[in-house]
Amino acid sequence: MYPSRVNTDRSTPGSQTSLREANRLRLVDAVKRFGGLTQVELAAATGLSTATVSTIVKELIAAGVVETHTTSRSGRRAQKVTIARRVGLVAGVQVGHRHLQVTLADFSRTVVAEQQMPLPAEHRLDTGLDRVALLIVDLLERVGAQTDELLAVGLALPAPVDSATGMISVRGVLRGWDDTHIGQVLSKRLATPVFVENDANLGALAEHDFGAARGARDSIFVRASYGTGAGLVLGDHLHRGYAGTAGEIGHVQITPDGPICRCGNRGCLETVVGATALLEMLRTSHGPLTLRDVIAQAIEGDPGCRRVVADAGARIGAAVATLATGINPQCVVVGGELAETGEVLVGPLREAVLRHVVPNTLAPLEVVVGELGTRAEVMGAVALALRSTDVASDGSAVQGFAP
Amino acid sequence: MKRAQAAPALSLAGIDKSFGHVQALSEVSLEVRAHEVVALVGDNAAGKSTLAKIIAGVLQPDAGIIESDGVPVTIANPAAAHALGIASVFQDLALCDNLDVVQNLYLGRELRRGLRLDDEAMEDEARRILRSLTSRIPSVRTPLAGLSAGQRQSVAIARTLLGEPRVVVLDEPTASLSVSQTAEVLMHVERLRELGHAVILISHNMTDVRAVADRIEVLRHGRNNGSFSGADVGYEEIIAAITGASAPPRHDALRDGPRSA
Repeated sequence: MYPSRVNTDRSTPGSQTSLREANRLRLVDAVKRFGGLTQVELAAATGLSTATVSTIVKELIAAGVVETHTTSRSGRRAQKVTIARRVGLVAGVQVGHRHLQVTLADFSRTVVAEQQMPLPAEHRLDTGLDRVALLIVDLLERVGAQTDELLAVGLALPAPVDSATGMISVRGVLRGWDDTHIGQVLSKRLATPVFVENDANLGALAEHDFGAARGARDSIFVRASYGTGAGLVLGDHLHRGYAGTAGEIGHVQITPDGPICRCGNRGCLETVVGATALLEMLRTSHGPLTLRDVIAQAIEGDPGCRRVVADAGARIGAAVATLATGINPQCVVVGGELAETGEVLVGPLREAVLRHVVPNTLAPLEVVVGELGTRAEVMGAVALALRSTDVASDGSAVQGFAP
Repeated sequence: MKRAQAAPALSLAGIDKSFGHVQALSEVSLEVRAHEVVALVGDNAAGKSTLAKIIAGVLQPDAGIIESDGVPVTIANPAAAHALGIASVFQDLALCDNLDVVQNLYLGRELRRGLRLDDEAMEDEARRILRSLTSRIPSVRTPLAGLSAGQRQSVAIARTLLGEPRVVVLDEPTASLSVSQTAEVLMHVERLRELGHAVILISHNMTDVRAVADRIEVLRHGRNNGSFSGADVGYEEIIAAITGASAPPRHDALRDGPRSA
């Protein structure tokens, strides 16, 4: 999360220097965990004395790691210590099938505050966007920032998005969110530009910019979650396709006589490896589970849950192989909640990709787990918001066009 | 597999309760298993809080059977509920404003070392519990008066976790909270479930309930009026059951079918 500091003057553990370093880390951790704290609160949160906190805070301010703001929350004036932010703030938002994640970051992409929230199945647009807007405002207040410090918002949705209008381009994929200019609606509530994008595309962007696909010109990001999708980076640029549906491997037909999918077609990959299908397979043996239970039990080693995840990996791998044959990427990065099971999912997925893709002796295709984990999409949303905002030389921010 | 087959952590069947001529509950049944969130919803005066008070041992039922892990029990008073591993958080939270977080958590059950209070142990344990809930309370030595409504709710939930309870009852935990505080409390509820506790969540807010509940039980005029799976049910279906527009479709036979097979 936080760029780890390289300790050049190596000190022996237990020495004065290493103790001071440990205390500094503890303090920075506490500030990041709570967004913003007063020095008295910091002392209590870290267990350090107020004098030590005061000294360390002074050092950290000088080093540009933290800064102080005067707040007058609950009627009292207080100096709030927050992570130092450069120029302004952007928000990255990920709306998932069952969770909402809101992250505030500054222009150096440092996360200053974040909050998660569970969402109901088939949640609706109106309450969803209300909650997003209120959470962003709450987080701004938590770090002691004014609303006009928020310069842009990146929004990740689990559906193909037409980036020109900010509308979902395939009906039925995210029920209850169709036919609305989502970007425009949220933008009105926050008085800030909002850039809407598909979550797998943003995951691809994040893994390419600062994750497992760093340095690869062409890469595929596979997102295995409640639904399945992929994002493509070609020649270092995100490839959206004409209407934003590029890489929608969840809607590739794999069983011609299979059930009808939400998108209206038949036998899509998602009808076989989507959360509903996976949970249904376990219902008789394991009773009703959630996808989070399946992931937790697969990690713990439950054979049934491991089998379901592994088989899903193999099915997804076959579809990824077709896509990879078409565009010949340098690497495939696997993300989404199911990737938390690590090799349980990625092992069979890799095997299926390598079995079906055109064998290439010069540069064999790599299939790896994402480095950013489940934060890839929201960090991609932050990156999108940052790319869309230009910073002028005098430090003021200027709105640009979508990248 | 073993989770699904185990007896419910707590099961109530045929519970009757009347206050004079008012029949508050009639033949109400409810069960909750470990690692499960059951939401209890209904209009005002549907009997939700009465049922919660019976579970907490504050009220005694006129008739009915209560089983804990398949063993019939009586919950004669709150201490009996505590001994059975049932912890409740009521709407008024019952916290002391002038005491700090640690003092509130351990009120009435302070840890002692010899004759003195073991402040250090209590503080460490309080920190550990708040951390396990991923709570955002910076200092465990802040007086309650200095905390927000959401943070107080966190403290109240943390207090229930002290005795390693099996069943946690939350009465309207998100009423009168802001969105980010609600987010915090809902994350706590998810966390309680992941820690393996059985959770009974009483709430008016259908969005919150549907976000975290595995099963939703509707009460209407003191009777069961529908049982839904949290993942599949739509907003309108629950409202219809609350208002009485739909008859009670008990899913119990359906739900238990494949399990007992």
